[in-house]
Amino acid sequence: MKYLPLAILLLFPLSAAAQDSEGLEAWDRIYQVTAHPRCANCHVGPDNIPVWSGPSLGAPRPHGMNITAGDSRIGAETLPCAACHVSSTQPNDTPHAPPHIDGFWQLAPVEFEWFGKSTKEVCNQLRDPDRNGGRSFVELADHLKHDAFVAWGFNPGGKRQPAPFTLRDHVNDVLAWGVAGQPCPGD
Amino acid sequence: MGRIRTIARRSFLIGSAALLGGVAFGAVMYRRPHKNPLPEQLVAGEAAITPYVLITPDGITLIAPRADKGQGAYSVQAALIAEELDVRLDQVTVDPGLPAPVYYNTALASDLLPIRSTNTNYLADLARRVADAPVKFLGIQITGGSTTVPDGYDKLRHAGAVARETLKAAAARKTGLDTAQLTTKDAHVVLPDGTTLSYTSLAATAAGIEPADAPALRDPSEWRYLGKPMQRLDMVAKSTGAQEYGIDVQLPDLLHAAVRLNPRRGVVISHDATQAETMRGVRSILPITGGLGVIADNTWRAMQAAQAITVEWGPAPYPAGMDAHWQALSDSFTKEQIDSQYRDDGDAAVAERPITAEYRAPYLAHAPLEPINATALVTDTRIDIWTGTQIPRFIQSNISALTGIDTDNIHVHVQMIGGSFGHRLEDQVVRHAVELAMSMKGTPVKLTYSREEDFAQDFTRQIAMARMAGSVTSGNVETCDLGIAMPSIIASQMGRQGFPAAGPDTQIVAGAWDQPFDIPNYRVTGYRAPDLAPISSWRSVGASTNGFFHDCALDELIHAAGADPLAERIRLCNHAPSRKVLEAVGEMSDWGSDMGETRGRGVGFCLSFGVPCAVVVEVTNSAQGIRLDKVFAAADVGRIIDPVNFEAQVSGGVIFGMGHAINCEITYADSAAQQTNYHQYEAMRLYQCPEVTVRGLENGDRIRGIGEPGVPPAAPALANAIFAATGQRIREMPFNKHIRFV
Amino acid sequence: MKLTVNGTRHDVDVEPEMPLLWVLRDELGITGPKYGCGIAQCGACTVHVDGQPVRSCQLPVGDLDGEVTTIEALGTPDALHAVQAAWIDHQVAQCGYCQSGQIMTAAAFLEVNATPTDAEIDQALSANLCRCGTYPRIRAAVKSAAARLNEA
Repeated sequence: MKYLPLAILLLFPLSAAAQDSEGLEAWDRIYQVTAHPRCANCHVGPDNIPVWSGPSLGAPRPHGMNITAGDSRIGAETLPCAACHVSSTQPNDTPHAPPHIDGFWQLAPVEFEWFGKSTKEVCNQLRDPDRNGGRSFVELADHLKHDAFVAWGFNPGGKRQPAPFTLRDHVNDVLAWGVAGQPCPGD
Repeated sequence: MGRIRTIARRSFLIGSAALLGGVAFGAVMYRRPHKNPLPEQLVAGEAAITPYVLITPDGITLIAPRADKGQGAYSVQAALIAEELDVRLDQVTVDPGLPAPVYYNTALASDLLPIRSTNTNYLADLARRVADAPVKFLGIQITGGSTTVPDGYDKLRHAGAVARETLKAAAARKTGLDTAQLTTKDAHVVLPDGTTLSYTSLAATAAGIEPADAPALRDPSEWRYLGKPMQRLDMVAKSTGAQEYGIDVQLPDLLHAAVRLNPRRGVVISHDATQAETMRGVRSILPITGGLGVIADNTWRAMQAAQAITVEWGPAPYPAGMDAHWQALSDSFTKEQIDSQYRDDGDAAVAERPITAEYRAPYLAHAPLEPINATALVTDTRIDIWTGTQIPRFIQSNISALTGIDTDNIHVHVQMIGGSFGHRLEDQVVRHAVELAMSMKGTPVKLTYSREEDFAQDFTRQIAMARMAGSVTSGNVETCDLGIAMPSIIASQMGRQGFPAAGPDTQIVAGAWDQPFDIPNYRVTGYRAPDLAPISSWRSVGASTNGFFHDCALDELIHAAGADPLAERIRLCNHAPSRKVLEAVGEMSDWGSDMGETRGRGVGFCLSFGVPCAVVVEVTNSAQGIRLDKVFAAADVGRIIDPVNFEAQVSGGVIFGMGHAINCEITYADSAAQQTNYHQYEAMRLYQCPEVTVRGLENGDRIRGIGEPGVPPAAPALANAIFAATGQRIREMPFNKHIRFV
Repeated sequence: MKLTVNGTRHDVDVEPEMPLLWVLRDELGITGPKYGCGIAQCGACTVHVDGQPVRSCQLPVGDLDGEVTTIEALGTPDALHAVQAAWIDHQVAQCGYCQSGQIMTAAAFLEVNATPTDAEIDQALSANLCRCGTYPRIRAAVKSAAARLNEA
């Protein structure tokens, strides 16, 4: 039973206030994930330039080597992300090598911009189907369970710092937040 | 390349000018009086022939004994010979030849000490230089010090001329005509009636003829190749993947090796290779000097296994952290540690000196893109080594000492080098390769250092510190008293070759004491710091740090005087060619024109290796940081052999100098280098690279090399430009510790 | 394990995690792709996989999906690729060790953008390191190659 079954949550509905409070607590943990450099570095805005920041990369700065992912968000216009971030099933254990996933490396869509955004902004983004890929919270949770990028974020290999909590916690938090009605700070 | 190895094995270096149906011509042949007893002193392998031109029925080979590490040495050496020999470069093969005493480099040594060019006894010659010369290592067959052109300028043209005249004599003998009736063109002797005899068809006849007397060299006005734009010989191969470097050597049954070396350069206390030994492809793991080596059937497997060894390392013979290194330099500005004071004009010691500044320059890795490597094949009687090297004769000597095999039986096959910047003046990798190959007699072993080992084991550029005290008066610089402290580069480098270095090390003050300025009170003092981490020659050697110190100090004084940075340098300059390069960059950059609020322009100058080089850098102080916009550089080498390559060397040197000044340093923590790969040592990348405009001048009295002189003025020009744009003086490299760059 | 390099099918007996670079260099003797850093910092090992530029030091051979082209098959001295011809015209190389990777990256880039701006050239080629400082000539050669490709 890897993920908290939704049914249990639905069987024991909490009071609205309690739901809201627990929902916001769940959201706060979700935001810690989305704001973490491991995740936010590639959720950047329309300049299409990934960010280097975090424990091993220091203060935020544009990805080295003058990299831009272009409007394609995959570097198709100049240098594909995949030129270095290859698609591979091998572990990410070579120090300082570009990380890879079993999939095509890319920036998140521009409407998923997280880098530098407040908890309120990201929360409203994630509950807005126009800016979350048209997903219900259940679909969001399902996406998180299956996306190779998300999995990598929690298990980035080598000495890279992973995203906080665990993937399982994160999915459960999204579910809990959804069951609570997707509350956002400032609602 | 390559043909010579076959020929050499057969007949080339066995003590006779006459080959099997061929002939070799060398400059020393004609210089040596017939009565010279020298040939009797030769031991086997030190052939009386001193060939630069080899002609056989199969073809023409030009010997280029100076290593090519990207500076175009093979092409320029070939062109110097071809100009007099009357061959097109597409008609010849160029080969580095095999190491031989006759290929001594005399150019830079002749700047510094009297030299008897007739004495080719290797050890005697070497010992004399060790005793007498401040730059001892430059007398032997070595590529460095920007000497390839100055060393070969006359020697190689003479070799071509002697060969040409000898071939004409051979044609005369064959045809019964007088040599005066013969001319030469495109590798043929031309008879009066227009018929031609190819050089190759004359080889056998020429082999029986005493080489001709040296004719007068052609006047530069008659040159067809030299002084005009050339096509480098390696350009097609290097653009099609066909160029073979040392790392690409392929031999039958070749095995591949990697090393795991003490990052503190101490000993191995204990190790456990149990897991590594079981890894796929691993043939053996054995102790080598300073660490462990892995021989496997694939380089990657060898490197993986090397990583899997657990090792307890011994301590370093130098301080653990940078504070101690800097402190050692700081403590070296004492009377007892004065190494030299070659310049002491006026009364710098007692003059008022209210303006002071301290400058720092860090250790730097060479980090050429080809990681160091060497391939060795050891048998009971001979050793063959394939490697890119600037010191083939040292390698013979060192490997002989290591193995007990006579130097005559140590064959160094010099390979094309994928960048050096001084890295290939060291030969630790060759020692390691031979140690490994000795355990696999009869099987060639190619050792490739991983990039990480290459960084960790580099013998870096010196760390250095300088202190300036000066004064200005009525708009002019009045006093400049500069002290520079660093460990001795030459002592560290030559110490590894087993030669103690006595006396002052001119490199401690090179690029500072010798600058062409008249300042009323002007003193440059070198302070010899204790040995710290091992150091070696890094492109432009002492001047790589001292050019920065001296020129930035001068810039600060000029600014304090309220003078124009370029005009005051020109006013102080006492050397016409130097003044002209300063004037040139002024004109090129439209010096003095308005640049607006956020931009700035700085000038830097350094005279190094006899070459004055001035650089103007223009920068913008943008919201993203300092952006390098344009660079203008002018240098004077006396005479430019190939304007295309000249431009490449100046431009490349300036970019090299600025890139390292911006973001590179090697720092030690727990006595190990903290920078392990290029992610921590980027230097310049394309997007940061400014437009570079180069002008070559020819006012100098002697021909000089241009591989290094572009480097020293680059960093100060950039620092001075940043000051002009921001008002911030940066006195420490790398600059990005103090200011952000785009 | 089977792979196609420069139109030739090869069967190699290697572990799937071995980087393509070392399969090419030490197993197949194809040495145009160079080892420079092993961590995609220098680009000297760049090859094409189905026309896309890939740092071969990063690609485990077991994950290779497509046909490999190395510098040796981009063009030859007798039939140069436009990028190689431009590199020779502009005398770009000094030590030359990075140039296989520069050329392979540039060739793939010009396939998708035949009329690049200066800024786009700087974006496409700044992940290829040159220690000799040939950058000004690289810029000029890419522009010449683009012009040459557009004429063809």
